[in-house]
Amino acid sequence: MNYRHLSPDDIEVFSEAISNFFNLMTRQPAVVKTAYVFKQPVPIIWNDFNGVIQATGGFRGTISFSAPRGLLNEILVVLGESGKSQAHFLDIVGEIANQLSGRARKHFGEALDISAPISCERDAIALQLTAEGPAYAIPLTWGPYEAHLVVHLDLARRA
Amino acid sequence: MRYKLLVVDDSMIIRNHITRLMADPRLPKIEIVGLASDGEKALAAALEHRPDCITMDLTMPNMDGEACIEQISKLLPDARILVVSALADKATALRALTKGAQGFLHKPFTDDQLVESLLELMK
Repeated sequence: MNYRHLSPDDIEVFSEAISNFFNLMTRQPAVVKTAYVFKQPVPIIWNDFNGVIQATGGFRGTISFSAPRGLLNEILVVLGESGKSQAHFLDIVGEIANQLSGRARKHFGEALDISAPISCERDAIALQLTAEGPAYAIPLTWGPYEAHLVVHLDLARRA
Repeated sequence: MRYKLLVVDDSMIIRNHITRLMADPRLPKIEIVGLASDGEKALAAALEHRPDCITMDLTMPNMDGEACIEQISKLLPDARILVVSALADKATALRALTKGAQGFLHKPFTDDQLVESLLELMK
């Protein structure tokens, strides 16, 4: 299959997904900063907790959301969740990755086939490098916390 | 009337969140009869408890939500299904509705949006 890299418009969809998530879920907007090309061997910016979505279908690659414990803790509070175990943090970081990726289907359609999230602490999983194009890091701040969405996707060209 | 609700989502946090919102005074009395983290468990729980309503995620391990909706709609045609999913494209929503769901709510959702969607589902 022949693939193309993501365009700036494609990346903007993910920035919008971040804004939408924090506005709706927490009513406290996040500051979404300009995306940049992320040149590392592995397309993820490890943080306390990380949620990874694998893309297939008309895409290949990964979408990963990485955040500090403090940010996730505050989101759990917003959701009324009193549990603060490792399982809670792994669950919410994966769910955020899922929601940000799912929102992108508004733009890409169902060709963006996304997996259930895989979550881990720090660098506890080995990411498979399936996309060949550049990875884009989208930094965000929410209150005192900084987190990142890293989008590393190739999109199949239509015949 | 007390409605029986089955909550299906692979996220424990979302299952807990939906469960807590069932105490909203705008909703009729709702009894949570089951919580399931994938389609296979949801199907088993649906057959055991015969819920009136189901909130159904789509992206889940093992059996996904679409396959589960299809099965439940055949086996329990009176169960009303509200899809609660992050998948934001129209084709997915239409397909879920075609397979037997009665409503679709996109994640992330506000508390009010979930309550209103459930009220609509129970009409």
